[in-house]
Amino acid sequence: MIQFINVSKVYPNGNKALADVSFQVDKGEFVFLVGPSGAGKSTVIRMMFREELPTRGQIMIGGKSILRLRRSEIPILRRNMGVVFQDYRLLSDRTAYENIAFAMQVVEAAPWEIRERVPQVLEMVGLSHRADHYPHQLSGGEQQRVAIARAIVNNPRILVADEPTGNLDAETSWQIIHLLNEINKRGTTIVVATHNREIVTTMRKRVLTLEGGALVRDVERGTVRREA
Amino acid sequence: MKPRTIAYYFRQAVISMGRNTGMSIAAALTVAIALFILGSFLLLVTNANFIAGVLESNVEIAAYLDVDMPRKDAEQMAQQVAAMDLVADVRLVPKEEGLNQLRKQFGDRHDLLSALGGVNPLPDYLKIKVTEPEGVRAVAEAVAGLEGVEKVNYGELVVYRLFSVIYWVRWLGLGSMILLSLSAVFLVAITVRLTVFARRREINIMKYVGATDWFIRWPFFLEGMFLGLTGALVAVASLYGTYQFLVSNIGPALPFVPLVTDSLTVMRHLAWLLLAGTAVGALGSAISVHRFLKV
Repeated sequence: MIQFINVSKVYPNGNKALADVSFQVDKGEFVFLVGPSGAGKSTVIRMMFREELPTRGQIMIGGKSILRLRRSEIPILRRNMGVVFQDYRLLSDRTAYENIAFAMQVVEAAPWEIRERVPQVLEMVGLSHRADHYPHQLSGGEQQRVAIARAIVNNPRILVADEPTGNLDAETSWQIIHLLNEINKRGTTIVVATHNREIVTTMRKRVLTLEGGALVRDVERGTVRREA
Repeated sequence: MKPRTIAYYFRQAVISMGRNTGMSIAAALTVAIALFILGSFLLLVTNANFIAGVLESNVEIAAYLDVDMPRKDAEQMAQQVAAMDLVADVRLVPKEEGLNQLRKQFGDRHDLLSALGGVNPLPDYLKIKVTEPEGVRAVAEAVAGLEGVEKVNYGELVVYRLFSVIYWVRWLGLGSMILLSLSAVFLVAITVRLTVFARRREINIMKYVGATDWFIRWPFFLEGMFLGLTGALVAVASLYGTYQFLVSNIGPALPFVPLVTDSLTVMRHLAWLLLAGTAVGALGSAISVHRFLKV
């Protein structure tokens, strides 16, 4: 589903973010991407939805290279991929419902589809009762759940999350991770970049560890080493 | 493009203009002022061309013959000129007729002519019409070269001066038009940039969820085009009003100046301004949106 082949990235300012990183994520997997700050986790995530291009190497999504996409093909890639950020990135002037519906409007879904689908995902993330609340009326965990609902509303095959629990307390973090796990059980491939050692260790999922831009470990049912 | 998507674009454009009311009005007014001045020049040139055309088609050549030329020779001369290229019509105006015209022009004071003591001092002259205005000068020169022709008169000065005026009005109009259009484009660009800037978060999110570039662009284009069109409408309305006012108030005072009064013709010229305004608006927003889409 996702393949990185000898991917390197050097930013224009000379910062070497990634060095020769190769891995493969299969359909339906749940993968944690861990490592200290500046190890290159965000770069990997951003490359997946083609916000960044590698300096060298190849990236395949769904068996197709995403490096030579034409501008007009990038939106198609992103429609197959939900993205969740640490800072939620909700539109503050729209309600939870409208934020989720927005993602469907953008891909020109029919109004009846929107009316049917948005309540479904709201229920799935447990926020049916919060549909008409604005982001500032919601807690951090609730906002992140709205963001996840928005990410999955168009039924993407892949969901990538960059530090989704970075701003949340432990209990709320667990709710978010369980929600992601739930989505994974329905067949969506999930990649989560995180710092949260406890979650990674407890979840026993596959773990990719980055250090200084290099992939240093790739462990099934992994944990985070103390020294990492 | 689906109808509901188009409705969405319009809604977004209207919403963002509502958010930046002051800036939107300023941009529309700049477009209006630029197009008002452009339109003024357009009408000025149109009228100048119209006047020149009317004058040109009326230009006649008067070739005054020697005072003592026998009538027979004069008639022969008329035939000779009639045979020349570019000459449409020649009429011999005998000196008696010339005197009668003079008498009419003097009107009440025709008694002045009695001072002449019954002698007619006027020469016979040939009234020559040419087939096309451009031929006036050539015919006039050829006729002047004929033996027995004392003097040739035609409206050369008037026509040439008018043409040089039209020439300068055109260049002046073009120059100010370019400058004003640039400032209008610039102001629309700033206005739309404010909107784009205010909505960059939204644009960012739209990209993450897979919006196409055009889906993102259209509302901004519409906004720019709408600002331009609004400005153009203001300009056209005030130009039309001003022009009609001038024609109906100044026209009668200058009866010898023919003006374009046909409102259909005027409107047809002004319709171009609407197009220009919309284009200016679209260009302005294109400049602003372009940079923000590179993600």
